[in-house]
Amino acid sequence: MRVYSLKNTQNKMTKEEIILKLTTLVKPYVQNEEGFKNMSEDTDFINDLEINSANLVDIILDVEDEFNIEIDNDSMEKMLSVKATVVVIQEKMNA
Amino acid sequence: MHNIGNDIVDLKLAKTASSWRRKGFLEKQFTKREREEIHASEDPFLKVWLFWSMKEAAYKCYTQSVKKRFFAPQKFECSILSSSEGLVVFKKMKFYTSSYFDTFHLHTLARETQKKGKLFCAVGVPKELNKAIKKRLAAAMGILPKEIEKRKTLVGAPLFYHEKIRLTKSCSISHHGDYGAYLFSLK
Repeated sequence: MRVYSLKNTQNKMTKEEIILKLTTLVKPYVQNEEGFKNMSEDTDFINDLEINSANLVDIILDVEDEFNIEIDNDSMEKMLSVKATVVVIQEKMNA
Repeated sequence: MHNIGNDIVDLKLAKTASSWRRKGFLEKQFTKREREEIHASEDPFLKVWLFWSMKEAAYKCYTQSVKKRFFAPQKFECSILSSSEGLVVFKKMKFYTSSYFDTFHLHTLARETQKKGKLFCAVGVPKELNKAIKKRLAAAMGILPKEIEKRKTLVGAPLFYHEKIRLTKSCSISHHGDYGAYLFSLK
């Protein structure tokens, strides 16, 4: 299973696949369950999911581990929403 | 406009919810100088959260005037001036901080000016914050709490109004775990 999922991240993932993975990653930090149920591309981590900003860095580290990418400070700066995070993940995976 | 910002950290939650020892955790948020100070500290855990709350309080202060959100904790560099006072520098702008803590929580206030004008501030339970602010505003203005309405700016900064009149000049609300805190100044 591990080997397979690692291989999969190296192939091109669709936006939907990325969002699905992201949903699992952010779940432990979510404070607003209603917002989480409706999580979509337009979801904002802080305003909609009420994730504490202290946990944003945990999410960024989790994203790095899960997608096997490295996120620089300029990219991190934008990662407040699902949409922006998906763009960063796609950029880094295709780099 | 002299903005203010505040940040509260539930230290019990901070101990369990995030690990500052996690690989990459310090590197993503703190400058090299801050990391050295953290490692040299007698209580690295407390230093991590002190710096973090200073950065957050300064960020909340800053975003009230620029109306733009971002996540760049490393760009807010902290220096400790005394046991409670600190300085955060972001793009050559200075934010003056005061921090208070006990075993359970850590609270930081940030101001754009060194002058300490009249500020209203308290720590309590997250659920009761809005009620507490309204009560305090009502007492200061001689009106009823129920006549006060909370609104939000586009970046999510809170504002309190009495009918068409804005009551708070600058206002910041923070919550983490079991604690909530507010800070505001009057118009």
